Amino acid sequence: MSSPVSDLSDNKEGAANTDIPETISDINVMVAGRGGDGSLTIVTLLSRLLSRRGFHMCTARNVASRIKGGHAAAMLRGSLVHRWSMGDHLDVVVGFDAQTLIEAGPRLRPGSVVIYDSSQGEPHPDSLPKGVRLFTVPFGRMAVRDLRRELFKNSFSFGVVTRVLNVEDSEAISVLSGYVKRFSKNMAAANVAALKEGFEFANELGLTEGAGLLPLEKSKHRKRLLMSGNEAAAFGFLAAGGRFFAGYPITPATDIMDWLRPRLPEFGGVLVQAEDELAAINMATGAALAGVRAMTASSGPGVALMLEGIGNLGATEIPLVIVDTQRSGPSTGMPTKPEQSDIDMLVYGGSGEFPRIVLAPCDQRDAFEIAFRATNLSQRLQCPVIIALDQGIGQNSVTMEPFDMEHLSIDYGKRVSAEDVAKMKSYKRYEITEDGVSPWAIPGTPGGMSLVTGNEHDEWGLVSTQAPNRRHMMNKRSRKIDLAHDLLPKANRGGVVGASIGILSIGMVCGAVREAVERLEQQGTDIEILEPRTIWPVLEETKDFVNSHDRTYVVELNHEGQLARLITSQGVPAEKIVSIHKVVGKPYRPHQLVEEIQERESSYD
Amino acid sequence: MTDTYTPGEIIWCSGCGHFGVESALKQSLKNHSLEPHETMVLAGIGCSGTIQNYIGSYGYHSLHGRVLPTATGVAAANPALTVIAAGGDGDGYAIGCGHLMHTFRRNPSIFYIVMNNGTYGLTKGQPSPTAVSRADHEHELDALLMGLTISGSSWLARGYVGHMEQLVELMDAGLKHVREKRGFAFLEVISPCTTFNDNYPSWREILVNLDADESYDKGNRATAIGHYAELIASGKTPSGLIYEGNASTFEDATGVTADNPAALQNLTVSKHIGKFQEYMDAYTM
Repeated sequence: MSSPVSDLSDNKEGAANTDIPETISDINVMVAGRGGDGSLTIVTLLSRLLSRRGFHMCTARNVASRIKGGHAAAMLRGSLVHRWSMGDHLDVVVGFDAQTLIEAGPRLRPGSVVIYDSSQGEPHPDSLPKGVRLFTVPFGRMAVRDLRRELFKNSFSFGVVTRVLNVEDSEAISVLSGYVKRFSKNMAAANVAALKEGFEFANELGLTEGAGLLPLEKSKHRKRLLMSGNEAAAFGFLAAGGRFFAGYPITPATDIMDWLRPRLPEFGGVLVQAEDELAAINMATGAALAGVRAMTASSGPGVALMLEGIGNLGATEIPLVIVDTQRSGPSTGMPTKPEQSDIDMLVYGGSGEFPRIVLAPCDQRDAFEIAFRATNLSQRLQCPVIIALDQGIGQNSVTMEPFDMEHLSIDYGKRVSAEDVAKMKSYKRYEITEDGVSPWAIPGTPGGMSLVTGNEHDEWGLVSTQAPNRRHMMNKRSRKIDLAHDLLPKANRGGVVGASIGILSIGMVCGAVREAVERLEQQGTDIEILEPRTIWPVLEETKDFVNSHDRTYVVELNHEGQLARLITSQGVPAEKIVSIHKVVGKPYRPHQLVEEIQERESSYD
Repeated sequence: MTDTYTPGEIIWCSGCGHFGVESALKQSLKNHSLEPHETMVLAGIGCSGTIQNYIGSYGYHSLHGRVLPTATGVAAANPALTVIAAGGDGDGYAIGCGHLMHTFRRNPSIFYIVMNNGTYGLTKGQPSPTAVSRADHEHELDALLMGLTISGSSWLARGYVGHMEQLVELMDAGLKHVREKRGFAFLEVISPCTTFNDNYPSWREILVNLDADESYDKGNRATAIGHYAELIASGKTPSGLIYEGNASTFEDATGVTADNPAALQNLTVSKHIGKFQEYMDAYTM
């Protein structure tokens, strides 16, 4: 592994000097202000507009860990080509506070448009890079003066934004009308009036209809889902027959519990909000033990508390799905910021040695399939299956094709019924079998009584410390995973097949990598992509990939290069791995990876 | 008949109070005509945490202190099961005390039996939260008084292995409470440790049997708390059924029933495709 690697620091946040195109097929928008300013409303309106025009979308938020107030930003990328992460630049910024300009500044480029609410004063003339087109409107003050409510500033500013994008007024009105249908009639009409007032202001600023500065392209509308990875994972679990969830609130994993809370009861399931993570994992364990497909979800600090319980699942051979929507650590860290620094904990954490599987989706849509398969796998192998999500996959929504429900099937593994038990000579919960998995009669099954314990036990579940039994049981449990590699999710592949350079990433890094590889190819550097979806055990495909490339960049969001270290530990030549990692609480932008790889590649020439 | 496990060899010291708890529980399960497969016994860690091995029903050995959340999960999954949680005072009142309070609040139909001996026997005699006259001068905890003060609690009792007839009666009543899905039944049993805290004789002096007190109103939380506190202040310990009331239950809140348990739902994907489509529609742009 090539050692110390430069951290991609914030001073590289600034975008490369590319000019803004004449028509817009890939647009990055940021709307920001004080929390509660309604930034999300404008982004929601824009996403409806972009969707009608056939754009794919990615959304992201930048919030402080507080309920209201503080600087909060909502980001939206719309692109006719399907992208899975935010782009490099900001093309349009709507700002309701001075902090917006500080945050957005480094990502603006000549031609970018900034629309600024000057109710609290004009921005400092030096606060923006050269060539940025600034329009100031006292939206807040005007909304209060003319419409008597500050909140109307959102509809108001939407009118200016649509003019900038050269969207016809009728289309803007139609988008807004569709959105405000949920409000009262008066409220809906007032919002449309605010939008029209926005057009008036645009006229005064010289942004007349049909003279937009950044004309937005148009393509055929296609129905797609706009969903986050937390939601998709919760959905995948439910679709796979998940009927019990216990959890404790924690950013950025709580969305999973919130999604399942109203839905599980519709399927005869149960959700319990536990008093802490210890209770959560043990409740889920109890439910799983009793035969329900169960899940718990948390983030780093909560999963750390659950580790004893995860080891217990391995020893007792109880199936459970555990989600870790990773955030910046260690300890309380930066709760709202992304990181992938729990890999070591998820793969190695816990007392003693026990079978486990760790999966990671390669994008938001994949979170559905990974959760579906994790739920089935936990039943099939009777062991804990951990899903490594991260804040980016978990909380950022992207557009995706609807899920194909027709081809999903439930794997019941070695569950046995009362009739099955009656036909057996003996029923042993921990029977030693060839594949390591034992028949399982759930509590309540006549004749299937069993003892389940995390103490070392014999085939009947009775405590035993005899050496031969210990050896047999340890082998039985580890054999379950050794023989199951074919069942585990295979990697997603991309880039230039057969290229001599490889790149490998998981989770939220994959989107930026895909885009960077595409650009590098245009510049003459061919790279092949591997996005492993099974992190533990490390599959042969991962080792083969590293072995068959001259070098493989392993890109991850942590300080120590945990993923690179994990792969290296499996016997691939360390010198073939080039570790790229950073922990500044921000995702990778495609251009950062392009520049980083160009720089490194130049040293190989 | 299919062979299943043979109950394990008992590890307790001769004269251990836990023998009384085990035999009372077996008697009570018999009194309720419960078949082995209809019952699940979960136990914590410690000497008492082996009781599940001796019953012949479904058994689970939980992590230290986590028997109540685990039992809650079982109860949520399949209300057709009679769920019995058991453990010691270290397991329930020290490492697991947080869960006890929240289980009172949640009020799931679980029968929880704590074998209180005032010591950590298995680790050789360290003081537990109920130990008196401790070298470290910490005060003892009374879980029943604590339970009385939590508005969701619905059935609270204390038994003594020296009073076996009453102990079986209390077990019968506790099992009835949970089998009727009236919520959480909490029975603390004074179960002395003959090796590290042999205080059998003193309990006969200290215990005041409320079952024998006709003027005691077991359905009135306020007077029950007052009477309990007075007895403690005078150096006595209340025993018998201390409180029985009606509080809404975990089963009420979750809507789970024995007829339609979460563990036995039809999971076939195609059966639910309409609902899944509805969910997708809500996300469709």
